[in-house]
Amino acid sequence: MPLFAAGISHKNAPLALREQLAADEDKVREILRDLVGGGTLREAVILSTCNRVEVYGVADVPGEARAIAFRHLCRQRGVQSASVEGLLYTHAEEEAIRHAFRVAASLDSMMIGEPQILGQVKDAFALAQGCEAVGPALHTLFTQAFAVAKRVRTETEIARHAVSVSFAAVELAKKIFAKLAGRAVLLLGAGKMSELAAKHLVEQGAFPIYVVNRTWARAQELARALSGTAVPFEEMGTALAAVDIVITSTGAPAAIVTRDMVARVVRGRGTRPLFFIDIAVPRDVEPGVDALPGVYRYDIDDLQQVVDANIRERLREAQRAEALVEREVAKFRARLGDVEVIPTIVSLRERLEEIRAGEVRKTLARLPDASPETRDALEALSAGIVNKILHAPITKLRESSRAGAHRSWLALVHELFGLGRRS
Amino acid sequence: MHPHLQNIAIIAYVCAMGLALAHLVQRQALVHRLALLATLVGWIAHTLALVVLAIEIGGPPLGTLPHAVSVVVWVVVLLEMLVERQSGVTVLGAFVMPVVVVLSLRSSVARPATLAPVLGNAWIWIHIALALVGIAAFVLNFAGAIMYLLQERQIRHKRPGRFYHRLPPLQTLDRWTYRTLALGFPFLTTGLILGAVWARTAWGSVFAFDPLAFFSLVAWVIYAGTLAGRAAGGWHGRRAAYFAIIGFAALVVTLGAGLFLPGRHGA
Repeated sequence: MPLFAAGISHKNAPLALREQLAADEDKVREILRDLVGGGTLREAVILSTCNRVEVYGVADVPGEARAIAFRHLCRQRGVQSASVEGLLYTHAEEEAIRHAFRVAASLDSMMIGEPQILGQVKDAFALAQGCEAVGPALHTLFTQAFAVAKRVRTETEIARHAVSVSFAAVELAKKIFAKLAGRAVLLLGAGKMSELAAKHLVEQGAFPIYVVNRTWARAQELARALSGTAVPFEEMGTALAAVDIVITSTGAPAAIVTRDMVARVVRGRGTRPLFFIDIAVPRDVEPGVDALPGVYRYDIDDLQQVVDANIRERLREAQRAEALVEREVAKFRARLGDVEVIPTIVSLRERLEEIRAGEVRKTLARLPDASPETRDALEALSAGIVNKILHAPITKLRESSRAGAHRSWLALVHELFGLGRRS
Repeated sequence: MHPHLQNIAIIAYVCAMGLALAHLVQRQALVHRLALLATLVGWIAHTLALVVLAIEIGGPPLGTLPHAVSVVVWVVVLLEMLVERQSGVTVLGAFVMPVVVVLSLRSSVARPATLAPVLGNAWIWIHIALALVGIAAFVLNFAGAIMYLLQERQIRHKRPGRFYHRLPPLQTLDRWTYRTLALGFPFLTTGLILGAVWARTAWGSVFAFDPLAFFSLVAWVIYAGTLAGRAAGGWHGRRAAYFAIIGFAALVVTLGAGLFLPGRHGA
């Protein structure tokens, strides 16, 4: 089963080329039907995202199949296929398996661990299934790739830590407060990034949300979007006393939340921490506030530092994920080998059983007076001989499949026992 | 029989400690499962050891301080497993097991003393049992305080490091130290009062030549101060955590004094 994966990705091809090759669903369907219907490929899946355009296939002549597939993809936007040919990478057999696993597990992604790719691979697979372009080989490969991706996600932490500033802020809030549900949030200023961070907090159950902004209309608009309450600028101090998390993003030239203001508020708070997320440049919150007990303040640089640390963490985890994928590839290859030798073993048994039964029948026809005991003995004798003869070749086939060297053995067995062409 | 089982338990606890610490750094789910397994094996061996011991001496193994400390360890390990299971804080073992190991080693190297003949009154068992539950709660209190300080340090210094993702939120840890303090304190107090009353009737003096009684009073004063500070003064966070550690240090000195210095508590 000559399996291959070929394509271009963010690793080797510029965005301009990737967007020209990317095909929409209808186009992919059309190409899949051409390729598989026309007999170029026995099975095919086309994965087309903004970061990669890849063809996974099973073909008797993989090189040719690859060329035809990409000629199709190039034709849709009039790209010279020669310009793509040079960039294409091709993985065959074990390499193709590894590639499929790594892509699905988000190890080959631009941002390692990003969650979208698995969904995209699943969609591509479903699309190919819809076109009847998926056969047993790609079916096994992709189902296993999904399982591997799931294992990587749950057993390593490549996807666990925030890699955007707004998510990093939410993650920090989760490490300060026992739970975010019921935490009151104050938005100072109505910047896009603070709105995003507030949205994440609301999704985690933060409530109520107060919005303070110089422009009253904008405060009201944002409050509506977040199901919160707009508060006049003059009442900022009161609002400050009532909340747990403050997100600031005003365009003020100097700090508007001073240490004195916060010190006054902290006294009445008891044990509840107060968390400032200051996304504004210049900063809205005086850096001195984080010397106050129970007050934590992160500005944009601090958050970026957290993001950087998290990315390093992901890369470390990716090493573990790669080892996991490697083990899965080995397992999969062994299973694939078994899948390939089993039909031969079955037909070998059937062939010899056919011969044995025929010969026994012939002999018994010549011995009409044979007692039931004699008949049984004949059956047992012949069955015993067949089993003894079969033992060595079957063991050899299983062993060779585990070693990945079963192809030539399969051919030999077919030839020797006259089993006919294998599928 | 008892020493063998006790040794198996200690070896298992040492393994569990190593694995729990490795899990803290390595974050392999397998390492964590092995740590849990080692803890459980140790605890079962420990349970059997205590049962055998109780049969051998024909009563609860609380009569000498080394035995009593061994029971504390047993209670702590049980609580650790339950709390870890309930709260899902998989790193708890890394903070509790070292304490467990230190206490088990201490109790096993101390000379087992013969019991003072005056011991025998039912009150004395209640005194010991209450004090032990109190100490067990303070081991967890100590572990919570250490975790709090580590986590708070990382968040305050804006350098989320190795343990940032592993440790529970600050507020949870703060509540944890408060609860374990509030739980341990009444037990310790009642245990101490019973001990004092009993000592007075037996020896005519509350602190007669006993280092353990003296140091346990020091620990009690520290914990009482912390509890008062938390309940009335609004103490929390770092300050409360520091006091939890100081209180526990006093407790360790107390047990050390009881195990290694001559006095009424044996040895």
